[in-house]
Amino acid sequence: MKILVAVKRVADPDNANRIKVSSGGDAIDASGLEWKINPFDEYALEAALRLTENGASPKKREGEVVVVTMAPKEAETTLRSALATGADRAIRVEAGDDDLDGRVVAHALRKLVEEEKPDVVLMGKQTVDGDSNQVGQMLAELLDWPMATFAATLRQEQDGSLLVGREVDGGVLSLRVRPPCLVTVDLRIVSPEGVYSSLTDPSFKYNEGVRFAPLPAIMQAKRKPLTVRPLSELTDVALTTKYTKFELPAKRSAGVKVKDVAELVQKLTEEARVL
Amino acid sequence: MRKLCLGEIEEDLILPFPEISAPEREMLDTVKTSLDQLFESHAADFAEWDRAGEFPESYLDELREFGLFSFVIPEEYGGMGFGSAAYSRALQQVAMYDASTAVTVGAHSSIGMRGLLLFGTEEQRAKYYPKLATGESIAAFCLTEPSSGSDAASIKTRAERQGDHWVLNGEKIWITNGGIADFFTVFAKTGGPEERRNLSAFIVTRDMPGVSVGPHEDKMGIRASSTTTVNFENVRVPAENLLGEEGKGFKIAMHILNSGRTGLGGGCVGGMKRLIALATKQANERVQFGKKISEFGLVKKKVGEMVIDCYAAESVVSMVAGFTDSGHKDYAIEAAISKVFSSEALWRTADEALQIAAGNGYMSEYPYERAMRDSRINRIFEGTNDILRLFIALSAMDDVGQNLKEIAQSVRGVFNDPIKGFGVLSDYALRRATLATGIRREHFQFTKLPEVLKAEQEVFESATRELAEATDRILRKHGKGIIGKQFASARLAEVMIHLFVFASVLSRVTSSIQKHGVNGAQREIQICRAFGFRVRRHMQIFLHEMEENADEDVKGLADHAFELERYQWDTI
Ligand SMILES: Cc1cc2nc3c(=O)[nH]c(=O)nc-3n(C[C@H](O)[C@H](O)[C@H](O)COP(=O)(O)OP(=O)(O)OC[C@H]3O[C@@H](n4cnc5c(N)ncnc54)[C@H](O)[C@@H]3O)c2cc1C
Repeated sequence: MKILVAVKRVADPDNANRIKVSSGGDAIDASGLEWKINPFDEYALEAALRLTENGASPKKREGEVVVVTMAPKEAETTLRSALATGADRAIRVEAGDDDLDGRVVAHALRKLVEEEKPDVVLMGKQTVDGDSNQVGQMLAELLDWPMATFAATLRQEQDGSLLVGREVDGGVLSLRVRPPCLVTVDLRIVSPEGVYSSLTDPSFKYNEGVRFAPLPAIMQAKRKPLTVRPLSELTDVALTTKYTKFELPAKRSAGVKVKDVAELVQKLTEEARVL
Repeated sequence: MRKLCLGEIEEDLILPFPEISAPEREMLDTVKTSLDQLFESHAADFAEWDRAGEFPESYLDELREFGLFSFVIPEEYGGMGFGSAAYSRALQQVAMYDASTAVTVGAHSSIGMRGLLLFGTEEQRAKYYPKLATGESIAAFCLTEPSSGSDAASIKTRAERQGDHWVLNGEKIWITNGGIADFFTVFAKTGGPEERRNLSAFIVTRDMPGVSVGPHEDKMGIRASSTTTVNFENVRVPAENLLGEEGKGFKIAMHILNSGRTGLGGGCVGGMKRLIALATKQANERVQFGKKISEFGLVKKKVGEMVIDCYAAESVVSMVAGFTDSGHKDYAIEAAISKVFSSEALWRTADEALQIAAGNGYMSEYPYERAMRDSRINRIFEGTNDILRLFIALSAMDDVGQNLKEIAQSVRGVFNDPIKGFGVLSDYALRRATLATGIRREHFQFTKLPEVLKAEQEVFESATRELAEATDRILRKHGKGIIGKQFASARLAEVMIHLFVFASVLSRVTSSIQKHGVNGAQREIQICRAFGFRVRRHMQIFLHEMEENADEDVKGLADHAFELERYQWDTI
């Protein structure tokens, strides 16, 4: 099975307090930020790796995983890390953050999917910077492919179709999608029983979370192919999202202590007006 | 550093601050992420293994699998091919989680297999590198013996040539990785018993008949790392296992230790970073007198000093790593300085972090007491800091004008060999005159430091002049007798240590200002300023105590106590 995983690097959410807005409010000042792969994209990569192996012998790769990002050169570190954890190939589409919005990304990805012809496109459900939650859906629409969003579990069945578990209020909704298809994942996908390829024994349990690259794999990743494509080769659609102003969230003021439940209820009713 | 004692500033050596290359940085980034994930998965185990006093075999297997023993082995043999700077940075990351793991990996890469890296033949490398890279073979460095610690030249282990073999007999003690190693770099005497320095180095493997190791030592810190005796009983070592030249073993041992110092330094920096994270969090959470204790001046003082110490240690370790990586040869003094400074900075940091946590700090449930136990070893192994201080002071004073080769190669050399060519004192005086008259001024000043560091530059330059004058005075006063004047030497060493660390800080802050501007480097400029004050303080004490001190009283009291072997007085 061939899987295409789209990833984005985002400002490290653990250091979100370092984000600054330029004085006019027209842009985010990215200096001094630490970057890391968007967590949901990291989960999508892990899911792709799990789908292309027998969980008990992960060194033997059973399929191909291609990672793609759209970003400046610095983001190649993110791609190399993905290659080190097991992806086979990487593509970087040369683009600055200002050249992109969800629609541009979806159109560019469509072209890449048409060229690469993967069986499955796996993506994070959303990025933790823009939180737009739209590229996966747009791309499925552009490709006219079946789609399952927010996957919490994935089972590859013998005929190759994917059984996707989506956690919804009150239970799990199961969707069966047949490749070529697109799946966006939620964080539960990296739980020990999140993903089973048709090769992985149903009694097998993964370690919680994503895998990490051992040092020899990091060395090997240096030699794996990484190609760079100009954005203009993939799409010519224009940006449709215009940012008018950026503001930091208001600083939270200190809380107050209440004596008892009665005072709490009173404050919630009279001051906060939430009851 | 030698030049510094002549009042000369080797600006080209100090500037620009060495940087890790972009491709190596990118790789380190990935390595760091992976190391974080590996060690976070064991966060709860380290305290447990410290109590148990050893690592489970499964953990060592995990480290092997992960490739943790491959840092410094060249790429073509399956290693990471890290230079000193990258290696030191990687080991820093390991030490942020567990000192026992860092020491295990460090003893392998910094000293255990470093002889092979520096002196191995092509055949020896081809034979051992692949297994050392995978950790199938873990390495140990075997120098210390029951009667030879600091005085390494006095070892008794012997190797006798018999045909195409050497027959090795002797006992080594306190060998890190002894219990888990398959590859031993062993030092043995190959000359007559009277030839103190006639040692040779050998590659000995565990499978050779006659090699045995003792039980795991129960020790204060780095408890999960393996420390054992290693015995050699009529071990037949093939002649091709001689490492480097016959008879050059002592030099080889010192070269290995010098070359590996940035590993230990990196480990110390990692330990400090972790402690600063712990202590700041602790101080922000703990409330006394209705305030977070982080609001109190004395707590701030501790944390501020920790930050200065950590930055300074990181700078000097990087500087020395840069020297090593750029192929600079004569960096033994600087390497010793980085070891002494970073190990003591870590010790201060551990001590003050524990003090901030106070009662909690004393409890084993918290990480501070272990951090302290773990930190202590760094001042002892790979040359005690006391010996290294003497080495720093004496080798800087030794024969400044002469060719490197003639400079005594080691502490031992400094103690044993009369300092050669004291005639050079005249050369020395000549340079002093140059200094006083200001000819060749450019060598006695920085020319490339930014304007905002003007005051710090002056502190450095005047301290350098004072150091040169003081060295001169000390030499005039004591001549060869300086070897016996350990009090004076240690004082001189203290100033040299602080000056070289200061040079490293100045260099790093200069680079930072160039990159981020004065505003962006504001905090680092503060560090530089604060460190400048430390330098001045040490200089003042030094200058004062050089003239006036209680050395004879202190020595007398020690002799008195040695004679009685107890303290004399009481109040009843
Ligand atoms: C946990 C641990 C791991 C170790 N790992 C290794 C290893 O892997 N390989 C290895 O070969 N060794 C190893 N060692 C040994 C270590 O390097 C020695 O302990 C160290 O060199 C000091 O030697 P010593 O303990 O015999 O002290 P000594 O040399 O007996 O010194 C005792 C004290 O006297 C001082 N002193 C000695 N000579 C002088 C002098 N001339 N002037 C002034 N003061 C002096 C010293 O500074 C010290 O304070 C290890 C030790 C420990 C504790």
